[in-house]
Amino acid sequence: MNSLFLSVLHLINLLLLPLLLMGIIRKAKAVMQNRIGAPLLQPFYDMAKFLHKTETISENAGWIFIWTPRVGLAVAVIAAILVPWTGVLLPPGWAPATNFLLMLYLLTLGKFFTMLAALDTGSAFGGLGASREATISMLAEPALIIALGALALGAGSTDLMAIYSSPASPFIALLAGAGMVITALAELSRMPVDDPTTHLELTMVHEAMILEYSGRSLAMIEYATALRTCIFFGLAVQTLLQAWPVFHALPLLLHYAASLLGLVVLGISVAVAEGILVKLKWRSVPNFLTFAVVLSLLAAVIAAVQS
Amino acid sequence: MSLFPWFLGDAGFTFAVDPLSCWFLAIIGVAGLPALIFAPGYLQHLRHRVSLSLVWVALILLMISMAGVVMAANAILFLVAWEVMALSSFALVTADHERRDSRRAAIIYLGATRAGTAFLMIGFLWAHHLTGSWVFSEWGISGTGALAPALLIFAGLATKAGCWPFHLWLPIAHPAAPAPVSALMSGVMIKTAIYVMIRLFVLDNHFVVPLLGPILLVLGAISAFWGVLFALLQHDLKRLLAYHSVENIGIILMGLGVSLLGRQHHLPLLEQLGLAAALFHTLNHAIFKSLLFLGAGAVDACTHLRDIEKLGGLVHRMPWTTGAFVTGSAAICALPPLNGFASEWLLYQGFFKLAMDGPSVGLRFGALLLMGWLALIGALAIACFVKAVGVVFLGNPRSRRAERATEAGRGMVVAQVLPAVMCIALGVAAPAVLGQLGRITSRLGDPSLLYHAWTIPLTLIALLLACTVGGLAMWVAALSRSLPARRFITWECGFGDLGPRTQYTATGFAQPISRIFGAVYSYTVDINVKGRNRRYFPDKVTAETAHEAYLETKVYTPLLQSIKRMAGIFLMRLQAGSIHQYLIYMALMLGLLFWVGVS
Repeated sequence: MNSLFLSVLHLINLLLLPLLLMGIIRKAKAVMQNRIGAPLLQPFYDMAKFLHKTETISENAGWIFIWTPRVGLAVAVIAAILVPWTGVLLPPGWAPATNFLLMLYLLTLGKFFTMLAALDTGSAFGGLGASREATISMLAEPALIIALGALALGAGSTDLMAIYSSPASPFIALLAGAGMVITALAELSRMPVDDPTTHLELTMVHEAMILEYSGRSLAMIEYATALRTCIFFGLAVQTLLQAWPVFHALPLLLHYAASLLGLVVLGISVAVAEGILVKLKWRSVPNFLTFAVVLSLLAAVIAAVQS
Repeated sequence: MSLFPWFLGDAGFTFAVDPLSCWFLAIIGVAGLPALIFAPGYLQHLRHRVSLSLVWVALILLMISMAGVVMAANAILFLVAWEVMALSSFALVTADHERRDSRRAAIIYLGATRAGTAFLMIGFLWAHHLTGSWVFSEWGISGTGALAPALLIFAGLATKAGCWPFHLWLPIAHPAAPAPVSALMSGVMIKTAIYVMIRLFVLDNHFVVPLLGPILLVLGAISAFWGVLFALLQHDLKRLLAYHSVENIGIILMGLGVSLLGRQHHLPLLEQLGLAAALFHTLNHAIFKSLLFLGAGAVDACTHLRDIEKLGGLVHRMPWTTGAFVTGSAAICALPPLNGFASEWLLYQGFFKLAMDGPSVGLRFGALLLMGWLALIGALAIACFVKAVGVVFLGNPRSRRAERATEAGRGMVVAQVLPAVMCIALGVAAPAVLGQLGRITSRLGDPSLLYHAWTIPLTLIALLLACTVGGLAMWVAALSRSLPARRFITWECGFGDLGPRTQYTATGFAQPISRIFGAVYSYTVDINVKGRNRRYFPDKVTAETAHEAYLETKVYTPLLQSIKRMAGIFLMRLQAGSIHQYLIYMALMLGLLFWVGVS
């Protein structure tokens, strides 16, 4: 019963939540801008639309361009199955597979191919996006790994399941969680690092990289992006919730509900932030990401003192 | 195992083969095979400039001497093999001696190996003085007296390995050699220094120097960062790869440092994890670095270009080379499920265990910091290889030569596919590799500790990945049947045809990161706009980037200058070109030796 229930829950998480979260963020953003906005389920309609459109592939593109959406989506799906981003844990035997270094590097594999695909078509936008993406991830990844490492010290294991099933010190959880929110904004190309909605590709990072994609490839990329959003936001939410001592004692359903609520709240706050913040000048992005590094380092200091 | 009863000084001509030697012999074989398969096809392109017989003789000599280095049982025999290795590789670097930069590279390389061997000789003499033996296995030096000889030996080995700050020769000498030789030098030869470090400092208690662990860790961390940072600035594909060797040597040294810290603080798991990470990464680096150098050689042979700003679009013209190079790049960037990830994961685990069980707050925090440091290095490596692959193989060709390129010959393709397959196999079969490593680390303690430390199911992840990608591909294929994709030009904003000049350049790609770390090498961009209406309709815009390596300009150049000056004052008189003077020296030396022999 329990395992069946878990698999059903997982399937719902994977299929519905990512796109729904994207819809919630868009809706909240529209509300912030005094618009009615697209329906909440618009991302689903978009997916259906993409799948029925003819795909256009650049004449210049080679196999890397064609295979990148498949690799990117596969990596995101595997990571989304294994990472406990909704607080729902897999059976204990799966714990080693949820190693956070494995998960992060697996997601990086998708990013590696996305950057290569951006260069494959010979478009200037692609190169620009890839170069900026490489810079951003160079700044964000150390912060993320230090934050998760500090959190993992308390659990004594680098497996995400172990990390999120053992209580952590509230200070570490808050600092690491705050750092992870900032890195998530950078990794997911959201404001104030990158604006996913402008009309000018010159100012964008992620959108500039995937400019040449259309049809089903774009559908795969968009879905992978939604999954990645859930994974990174979910990790940040789980970390922040660690600071709440009762969180681990909650029964499964309440635990799940709290996690989902946290995810939605984070999504809405990101939308609010996107409504009131302006995009940072590209040269100031490193300074912004330094905050994440500093927060993670503080978490690491506390973890080093306490262990 | 004593093969011959000949005597070299008071040390026999003896070899000793244990699991550690076997591991390095395997590395020599595994990286040497593709290089030797590659060589005939590649050398065809150089046959008018290079004496093929010299290259083959030196190449075989290099292979034999490397094997000799990792099997030598005593210091004298070791130095003999070490010198043969240095000289044969010197001959290979000079092979293309009609090019001016080759000659310069060869002289710098010769100077570096001389300095390295000098350190090593003094260190060995000192160790002999302390122990009275030339045989490695009889050395057991500890206490404060061990520090100086250990540091001297380490300096000599670090010069050979290309560890910061002794790395300057490496990015100059390795690219100058023919590609299969670069593959051997970067992939294997510099690892012989790692072998000696493990033999003398890590595996057995030949030298017990507590300070060495932190030194290795710090120098490794700096090397890794330095190598990848300068790699990002390079436009010459082979030089870029050579700088990555500095990076990977740094990663290996960090593993050894972790191992030594584990021994110092009595953490047996840490000791094994660090050593296993270092050994595994040594093997992995040998494979993917030789693969990448062979790829660079194939590009060089087919286009006669090494400046990556003139390449591009080779994915359509050289598909096999591209596939192998992308695999090698993913492996060196430590992306799962390839072999580079397996060894870096072990190192991450080493740092994590150090952060958990380290005896002091500083050590624990430092270990967490090193995890972030390794992540930074990994992300920089990804930026660098996206740049290299993207500019060399993807996009539009940037020159006529790149446009006319055709796939390399069959032998060269096989030589690249072989290590690419090994990159995948060693990643997926990492537990089996650990089983072999256990035979070496069992000298440090119970090897089952190591097996249990490897928890991640990389094989399963690889399988899942393959199945998901395959499933998605089948789904797309099914969709394509009713709705085929159409091919059209890349979107150009309606401005007309995109030329090769509208693409991002390698310099442009690396610029944001170069600017962030600009303080390390005083990175400057000089933009010049010319024309009457400069603001809106410039006639000509030029941009020039420059960087200055402080270590070279502020330390090494003044040092060499002062050595030259001193030589001008003192040595010039001793070596003035007068044959009479030299005859006196010979007589004096003979007399001196006679006196030493008698007394």
